Amino acid sequence: MPRHRYRVVPMVMIAPYFALMLFNGFIPLLVAIREVANPSWVNLNGSYTTLFRILKDFRVVPDLRHTLFLLLVFVPLTIFAALALSLLLDATALRGNTFMRLVFLLPGVAAGGISVLIWMYFLGRHIAWNPGNVKWLITGIAFSSGAGSWVVIQYGSLRSISHEVLEAARVDGCNRLQLALRIKLPMISRYVGYMSILLTAAAIQIYNEPALLNADGLTSNWWSLNQVAYSYAFQTADFAGGTALSLDMLIPSIVIGVFFILKTDFLKRDAYQ
Amino acid sequence: MIRTYERRNANLIKLTLWILTFLVLVPFIWLIREAGPNYLASFKFLFMNQNGIAITWLKNSLVFTFSALTISVLTCVVAGFVLAILDIPFRKTMLFITLITMLIPITAMAMPLYVLIDKIHLTDNIFGLIIASSYYPFGTFLSYLYFVSALPSDLVNMGRIDGLGDWGLFWHLAIPLSKALWSIIIFFSFLSLWNSYQLPSILLTDPMHSTLPMGLELLYGNGTAIVGVLMMVPVILLYLLSQRSIERGIFSGAVKG
Repeated sequence: MPRHRYRVVPMVMIAPYFALMLFNGFIPLLVAIREVANPSWVNLNGSYTTLFRILKDFRVVPDLRHTLFLLLVFVPLTIFAALALSLLLDATALRGNTFMRLVFLLPGVAAGGISVLIWMYFLGRHIAWNPGNVKWLITGIAFSSGAGSWVVIQYGSLRSISHEVLEAARVDGCNRLQLALRIKLPMISRYVGYMSILLTAAAIQIYNEPALLNADGLTSNWWSLNQVAYSYAFQTADFAGGTALSLDMLIPSIVIGVFFILKTDFLKRDAYQ
Repeated sequence: MIRTYERRNANLIKLTLWILTFLVLVPFIWLIREAGPNYLASFKFLFMNQNGIAITWLKNSLVFTFSALTISVLTCVVAGFVLAILDIPFRKTMLFITLITMLIPITAMAMPLYVLIDKIHLTDNIFGLIIASSYYPFGTFLSYLYFVSALPSDLVNMGRIDGLGDWGLFWHLAIPLSKALWSIIIFFSFLSLWNSYQLPSILLTDPMHSTLPMGLELLYGNGTAIVGVLMMVPVILLYLLSQRSIERGIFSGAVKG
């Protein structure tokens, strides 16, 4: 059987993207894996056991609780709000639809510092004095910054559903709610899954919101695991420790991602044709 | 009876949406008021304050955003086209890695990226930040989806019969058919780069190299509102320019009927 010969032009065309993929994906990962084995404050002899030893840091358990809180509140809340708003926007012909989508996008357009400023103005700085409120505050800021973009994306995917399918469902007697729950949601489920994974990863990796509150003197500098990783790297110059914690946080994102791709038809070309 | 019921539901939906719109809008009305009332004086104060460091931040933000935007958009649209239409070795593997990296936020890679950038002595250098921010797997995946559905194999074969090579297919067929795709990718890429905070804040340490979102933190309470308004204007304008494409084009053809 003759060997399949690839043409050069497609490989040249994809080369810049491939180079960026290597530089921003593979190589940092390899460098990080090597870095972890270097001596660290938590493992003076330096070895891969740093990946486990770093988890004994006294800040890790409270930060895991914060992460769990975000996973239980921020992720479902954002998914629900993004789907509810995009389904409502798609449910009826509405004057001002474009304006509304722009308004829902506004909190996501505002830089993180502005979100903090707005939340502090409306709630008052005293709200952060009670440590129990901080997790709600961070959830609120992360929710307001993230939900709008997802409304725009999911509204776009809803608009891509074939008109004939929706019309057939209406002829079969579907009302708006049935249309949303039985036709539209199942048809965009692949993108709902995608949104869920990205939000889960964002909750595990949260950094901006607690860091901005910290810059304003409203929280500690170790509210999230990512902040702890940075404090290792930039405050104690322990890059092995910081990188180990970063890799520990990366593992669940990769596992969930691989599972999602293998269990759905995301990778199949004919799923989109 | 059913029609009355449906009309009542439609009115309820409209009312809910208008109330929510109002609630979301209130903080931004406050922000615009806070930045004023004399916007010219606020801008003048901002740009004169601390030897005009805000101008440097604005310049850094513009250089960073437009350089990274150009690289990321060009590379990801071409890559999406190649993965969808052309034949390359390890096509499935590349698509798989694109999807995996798309599902991992940049925050997860920030520390490994920092270690790499530090090793090649590009920390505190806008060039290092541009390279670290130019990989845009979400755009590649969107382009892949778009070209798979917008360029059926019949059309590609007709192009081949007309004498188009691989590059010709992209230039003469894919580009004219993908205006909506470009708008969407430019908008979302611009949004994430313009507001990017974490990567710049760990890669750039000198305040003279800071970008506007980092500057906001340094300015806190002293001109923050006017910088906020300044930062929102280009994103809103870009959204208004591309909203028709965003509405029609995102995941276009990817939701099978």
